[in-house]
Amino acid sequence: MRRRVLSILPVLLALVLGLSACAPASAPASAPQGAAPEAAKAEQGAEPAAEMGELVPQIVVLSNVQAADPIEFESTRLVVENMKQLGLDVEHRAMPWEQQADLVWYNRTEWQMTAWRMVGRPERLDPDEFVVNLFHSSTAEKGYNFVGFQNDRYDQVSLAQRATTDREERRQLIWEAQEIIANEVPYAFVAYPQLPFAYRSDVWKPDTIVDAKGIGIKNFWTFVQAEPVGDQADFILNTGDVVQAINPLFISGAADSWITELIWDRLMRVGPDGLPQPWAAESVEWEDNTNVLVTLREGMKWHDGRPVTVEDVIFSFQAPATDEAPMYKPFVSKIAGIEKVDERTVRFTLSEPWAAFEVASLAKINLIPKHIWEPILADLATKEENAESYQEETPIGSGPFRFVAFKPSEEVILEANPEHFAAPKASRWILRIIPNVESALGQLRNGEINFLSEWEGDPTVLQGVADADPSIELVATTEVGFRFFAMNNRVAPFDDTAFRQAVAYVVPKQAIVQNIFKGFAVPADSHVSVALEFWHHPDLPQYDFSLEKAREVLAQAGYTWDEEGRLRYPAGR
Amino acid sequence: MSVQSASLTPAAQEPRPVSGLAQFVQMNLEVFRRDRMALVGACIYLFFVLVALLAPWIAPYSPLEVIQENGIWLANEPPSPRFYLGTTNLGRDIFSQLVYGSRTALLVGFSAAVAVALIGTVVGLVAGYYGGWVDTLLMRLADIAFGVPFLPLVIVLVALLEPSIWNIVLAMALLLWRDTGRVIRSQVLTVKERAFVAAARISGAGDLRILFLHIAPSILPLSFLYGSLAIGWAILTEASVSFLGFGDPDVVSWGFMLQDAFVSQAMSRGAYYWIVPPGLCIMLSVMAGFFIGRGYEEILFPRLRRS
Amino acid sequence: MQRSVVVYLVGRIAQSLLVLWVVVTFLFFLFRLAPGNPLVAYIDPTFTEEQQQALMRQFGLDKPLSVQYLVYLGNLVQGELGDSFFYRSPVIELVMEVLPNTLYLTFTSLLVAYGVGVVGGILLAWRRGSRLEQMGVTFTLMTRSAPEFWVGMILLTVFAFNLGWFPSSGATSPGTLYASEWDKLTSWDFWRHMVLPATTLALYLHGLPLLLMRSNMLEVLDEDYITMGRFMGYSELRLMVRHAARNALLPVITAMALGVGYSVGGNVVVENVFGWPGLGRMLVRAVAASDYPLAQGAFFLIAVVMVTMNLIADVLYGVLDPRIGAGQQAQH
Repeated sequence: MRRRVLSILPVLLALVLGLSACAPASAPASAPQGAAPEAAKAEQGAEPAAEMGELVPQIVVLSNVQAADPIEFESTRLVVENMKQLGLDVEHRAMPWEQQADLVWYNRTEWQMTAWRMVGRPERLDPDEFVVNLFHSSTAEKGYNFVGFQNDRYDQVSLAQRATTDREERRQLIWEAQEIIANEVPYAFVAYPQLPFAYRSDVWKPDTIVDAKGIGIKNFWTFVQAEPVGDQADFILNTGDVVQAINPLFISGAADSWITELIWDRLMRVGPDGLPQPWAAESVEWEDNTNVLVTLREGMKWHDGRPVTVEDVIFSFQAPATDEAPMYKPFVSKIAGIEKVDERTVRFTLSEPWAAFEVASLAKINLIPKHIWEPILADLATKEENAESYQEETPIGSGPFRFVAFKPSEEVILEANPEHFAAPKASRWILRIIPNVESALGQLRNGEINFLSEWEGDPTVLQGVADADPSIELVATTEVGFRFFAMNNRVAPFDDTAFRQAVAYVVPKQAIVQNIFKGFAVPADSHVSVALEFWHHPDLPQYDFSLEKAREVLAQAGYTWDEEGRLRYPAGR
Repeated sequence: MSVQSASLTPAAQEPRPVSGLAQFVQMNLEVFRRDRMALVGACIYLFFVLVALLAPWIAPYSPLEVIQENGIWLANEPPSPRFYLGTTNLGRDIFSQLVYGSRTALLVGFSAAVAVALIGTVVGLVAGYYGGWVDTLLMRLADIAFGVPFLPLVIVLVALLEPSIWNIVLAMALLLWRDTGRVIRSQVLTVKERAFVAAARISGAGDLRILFLHIAPSILPLSFLYGSLAIGWAILTEASVSFLGFGDPDVVSWGFMLQDAFVSQAMSRGAYYWIVPPGLCIMLSVMAGFFIGRGYEEILFPRLRRS
Repeated sequence: MQRSVVVYLVGRIAQSLLVLWVVVTFLFFLFRLAPGNPLVAYIDPTFTEEQQQALMRQFGLDKPLSVQYLVYLGNLVQGELGDSFFYRSPVIELVMEVLPNTLYLTFTSLLVAYGVGVVGGILLAWRRGSRLEQMGVTFTLMTRSAPEFWVGMILLTVFAFNLGWFPSSGATSPGTLYASEWDKLTSWDFWRHMVLPATTLALYLHGLPLLLMRSNMLEVLDEDYITMGRFMGYSELRLMVRHAARNALLPVITAMALGVGYSVGGNVVVENVFGWPGLGRMLVRAVAASDYPLAQGAFFLIAVVMVTMNLIADVLYGVLDPRIGAGQQAQH
């Protein structure tokens, strides 16, 4: 359809130029094939392949384009080459992310295999979201289970862990879930990236920079606790992303979420250890499986000077339940009721037991002032727009930082809120929008920024700079997120577990980590990251790169190779 | 005056008339014989054409191949006898990319030049010869084309259709005929009043015959002038679009190389061997277009010649 | 005479509006006819059908194309450009916020480029036939041929990364708040950020006025009154500056008005290299993020600047060149 809109031009051109032979330089023909299946043939001995099955169809592997995501693009290129070695006809199709997402999310039977990534976010420090959403059959049609994985046992286990409040017991269930995935291989895992961050140790005291599990030193706790060494007390960090909105009822870009966290308080916060801890709440008490008693801290104030009340808290959890904040709605959907107990205490009643309630709801919902948002929401209820399109002139929260200025393609400025119960040591927090990472690095070197909070570039370059400059500290942290190849369990040949296992064997994890991630990653084996030490299953099948193993798995499942070395289905399929 | 031109053409000056095919050919030869710069330009193109044709023999590696040794990628290698210009951060040979990049540059440059010159010439001929509403319509279209920002349009087209060099050529063909068209039209207006046209008409020649056999040869040098300028313009445009990340990811071009270098921190690495050569190649090939254009201008507008 | 001027102006303005209308229409359909749901990048996969529909309604995408088009035109006449998918806020506010930055950069670099170009052009014409002229012309052709982003990268490497003389990105230092645009324009900090991007642009832009000035001068120098002057014993310098340059300057001035329009569109690349918060960077970002309303808005604004400058150039030409007179359309 959209391809080759212009077939006339090349013709026209060929006429003019004797250059027809030199079409634009494109990727060369791949390494010679054919030699590959020899081993497998030998294994089958002299048995004539009398009952050969159908030819395995052509496979198209999707990835992002090189410029946008070189890591994904290069990894895919490697895997595609290896798959060819198995006697498969494979094509690597790179496309912009929007097109890729359109296919993978909205045309769920029209793709076969794609490179993909899940990113780490603070709320993902609890394994619940990944464990349930990625593979539960209920999310196969429209939700996150885009690979269409179906497994009854998995459905049971994943929901059981959600309802189990005993940590040890829950861990066993999460381990079982990981085992099922490791054996069934809906994903071929690649790596848990390590996020490199850097800061100037001549501006910030190193012992006040907090390294949070799975998230890295760029986190809420660093922003609040970092202590200046000298007079320079502005915390200046970079982002390549543009800031989309500053709105407590809208989950927008990644950069935006850092700002929201600082302006608005939450009842609980995910601590540096990955576990939720009381924040604006003085205490959180589980009366039973479904009733939670929360006591609000005393003396909190909104940035406009009005006190934070229990009514504000109740309002904050009720507002997302309306249709005005669709992105926050899932986080309050299991709250059946909120009841005011006294001037400082509320009781949450859940519609069913929910282990992740603290992380996914109490530590997620922003506390917003009722006196400001009630009239806004009432007005919006009569309009087509919802609260996501509403941008306050001066956002008002109760958090450790107050809003100062928002210049959409330049920067966001916040200032410390000295009245806060956890008043920051920094005087201002300034997020600079710097589209080119190299400029960001240059600015870290000359002190224009003092915290490099995003480095999309080659980590070894950053390493080199940090090695050369004693006042630049580099900290790399393994992510909760991961990269993988998703295989569409609905369509051939990926509807066969043995085939998926074989593909897992040809993903050269070590080589990818070493050469493409330049060592800044850890080979992955599960959808629960090694960063979550407590939850990660320590002993899963590894699928270390091996063409022989891949062929063996296929041969055992009855696949054969024909004269020309092409892979054929087991007979009768 | 055209902003994209090299140039040098004062608005009021009339081009020197040329008539007849023989004279036309002779004039083209004259351009290169008399103007050293034009000759240099032609040599540069000849050089790049040779490189493009012989690329597989000149380039030691294929441009996107990841060069490995025992499973280790040879990334960020400095220039050496093995890698004349070193390797990229992903272990690709920069020299080979440079060699293959000439293909893309020439392909885009020449096809855009042909498209622009062809459309512009036909529009100019038709508008100038027939006059009346045809002329008005075509010239209003040219006015509109003058109002469309060029690079933004290319970006939008490429992003919406697909990242391909043909869409860049398409965008150029859509817009840049305007300069050529206008200039050729006014030239046709004077030429068609000349005696040899009247003579042809009396001897019973049809419109098309007059247009293409008698008038066209005399305005062809102008088409060549604008065509040669369009080559450079096209190469620059392709490079800019690739640099902004809207290029075809499978096509190695000089712009692609620079984008790769830009997003791979070549500047921090001090990898001048990666940044400088592609830019020089772009510059040379664009300059070659200007040089040739200048040669034509000096023949067409002889008063410009240095005293 | 007076009447013909008015008629000419009205006709010329009507023509500009027609051009803008065609651009807007072309752009509108180009974006809408692109395959796929325009909102795909903004619909979270967890959205229900209902939520997706609500979003489509909010941006008016549920209506038939022809209605959408009329609504768009209607809004445009009232200065509304719709809402950005990405920012969820009015496009007009977003583009107007960055437009000044683009104009500052454009005017600064054009002033420098035309200043240098005119003086350089006179110099080269004066020294015609010399080595200096040859070198000057070659150098100018080189800067006109070098890709702007490449020149920018080299300037960045040398002056920002290695020498550290100038900042590498942005238009202000972190946390700088200006009380007004005037404060910003009179601050040292802003101009320090301007140096590298403006130099990059000026290096590219100075070629046209320089070459134009030179060839105009050469032409004027052949005129009889210059020859006369020479006989009368005027110094060469006086002839150059007082007589020749004055006449040669005309087309250069109109070229400058045109140049503003062109470079607003051409700024795109330079703004991206230097992270300059302008219209060009916004356009690229919007196109890459499939934020169609914003991309359309930014494009439209660039087109408005271009068309306006074309108009001014034409009128200037008429006013400045007595030979042509305002009744006749300028030929360029």
